Amino acid sequence: MRWEEVSALVDDRVTDGWFSVHRRAFTDAAIFDLEMRHIFEGGWVFLGMASQVPNPHDYLTTTVGRVPIVVMRDGEGKLDAFVNACTHKGALICHKRTGSGRLHVCRYHSWSFDSAGQSVGVKGLRDGAYSDAFMQTDRNLSRLPAFADYRGFLFGSLVPTCPIEEHLGEARHLLDVAADQGEDGLELVPGEVVFTYDGNWKMQLENCADAYHFTSTHPSYLQLIEKRRREEKKNVVKSVWGENSAWSEMTEGITGGTYGFDQGHVLNWQVIPLSDTVPLAERAELLAERYGAARRDWMVNMRNMTIFPNLQVAENASSQLRIIRPLSAGKTEMRTFCIAPKGESDGARRMRIRNYEDFFNPTGMATPDDTVCYADCQDGHANALQPWILGYARGMESVQDGPDQFADVLGMKPDRSQPCGSQLCDETLFHSYYRAWLSRLKVGMERSA
Amino acid sequence: MIGRDEVHDLLAREALCLDRRDWDGWLSLYTDDCSYWMPAWRDEENPTDNPDRELSLIWYQGKHNLEDRVWRVKSGLSIASVPMLRTAHQVSAILIEGPDTVSASFACHVHNVKRRTDHCFFGRYEYRLVHEGDALKIAAKKILLMNDNIPTVADFYML
Repeated sequence: MRWEEVSALVDDRVTDGWFSVHRRAFTDAAIFDLEMRHIFEGGWVFLGMASQVPNPHDYLTTTVGRVPIVVMRDGEGKLDAFVNACTHKGALICHKRTGSGRLHVCRYHSWSFDSAGQSVGVKGLRDGAYSDAFMQTDRNLSRLPAFADYRGFLFGSLVPTCPIEEHLGEARHLLDVAADQGEDGLELVPGEVVFTYDGNWKMQLENCADAYHFTSTHPSYLQLIEKRRREEKKNVVKSVWGENSAWSEMTEGITGGTYGFDQGHVLNWQVIPLSDTVPLAERAELLAERYGAARRDWMVNMRNMTIFPNLQVAENASSQLRIIRPLSAGKTEMRTFCIAPKGESDGARRMRIRNYEDFFNPTGMATPDDTVCYADCQDGHANALQPWILGYARGMESVQDGPDQFADVLGMKPDRSQPCGSQLCDETLFHSYYRAWLSRLKVGMERSA
Repeated sequence: MIGRDEVHDLLAREALCLDRRDWDGWLSLYTDDCSYWMPAWRDEENPTDNPDRELSLIWYQGKHNLEDRVWRVKSGLSIASVPMLRTAHQVSAILIEGPDTVSASFACHVHNVKRRTDHCFFGRYEYRLVHEGDALKIAAKKILLMNDNIPTVADFYML
């Protein structure tokens, strides 16, 4: 596929009041292949949390695009990322989601590697009549050319690329707001939940940042939350959505907004007042003392953050870390965790977990309504009569360049800001996704040309 | 003590109520203060076992929470259950393990009418049962879902 065909899929003419993405970007297998090669396997992607591998010799496994990856801590405690494949034939070296081991012996022909990825043994080396050419070949696990730990969030790239600070850019302030909530950082609550949906991975990218769908897609959840608030029965979980009406049509003034960053990261946020439905409430004063009330308020606010292309941290009814793993143009795997400040009280943790289960789980009362809509859209993207998606238009006339007064609180300089009321439901923040999408595809296609 | 016949009847009735979408019938099998729990998996080998510090797929105490879930799928407001998926529960290997505890294995075949796809959730049930008058009721149900890689949705009536 030629670059001209790819770039034609994003019609970016905001000066004319127009931005759209061609539906083919969601359905075409050739596009999907380019995305795998040049976005997921061609630049920074999220790998996991440092807290998953706390001790020397710990490892976690994941994938980058189609490539199996292992992140390991060596004997000195240094983290690094490798292709999780024996350099002999390619068999997986580490077999569990997380585990530990000083020495990893391949189960196929017993080549062995230490926790720093070094080859430490080839079975029958002396008797193997190997050539000099073989003996001089690097047998170590293939180290990722780029790996970084930003405040406990681990990133890697299968190609040499810019420093992580450059990739995160101004969005690093958002990771800081998340990480600062815990005295000792963040942890993943035990219990990973994995689900798939029959739609393109970019549906998830968009939905996380989409305020417009909330009252349409989740009326069953919202009505139940409202009923629970009225009834105040014992043993029902109270939700921040029951105490707060930032999404309601009755709410006036600026209730939140969006930010876009030129590396494709975005944030959709809403004011959430402190109340007893906020797990952070118990530490609100302490956090205000340490960081100031304005920055503390940012920690309490609803924040749905995407770090392009595969990490989302959604802090709303509870707090979820999502790793997006595209399987094909029409199928996506979601690996999801409850993410929480280390050291929070039993009561706060319980409230966080209960709200998480009801809202975020594929066995809960909100997420399946999203993912079923994604699958419906995937079917609808076959529409060649109107091939341009009309979902990038809300807020076109009000979006502003640079930061707003709320970003200033964090010292954060996004490329664009949209402070807004409850009913604007900005769609222009998605533009940032597709500009980065094109930019990464372009760099990759030029590199491989 | 709980008797083998009434245990078998109760478990079959629960499966039948769910497959027939006899929600009132299903709810009537539970005590008011029942617990209903489907753990998540901590790792490859172990389900989570402390619902206050670890994540569950579903964790409720009190029948009113189950009533909420029933209301949601009946309401028509949840697109995940419009149209409602068809189910056939199979419950077998029913064993009374203690004075009030029962284990069973289950498979629930689910047909997604809209997408014309099929899936089978399977795993084990663990029950704690009590008599309320003459009726044997479910005081606690734990669902251990073995295939927890979930295709889009796993609602209570598919488990």
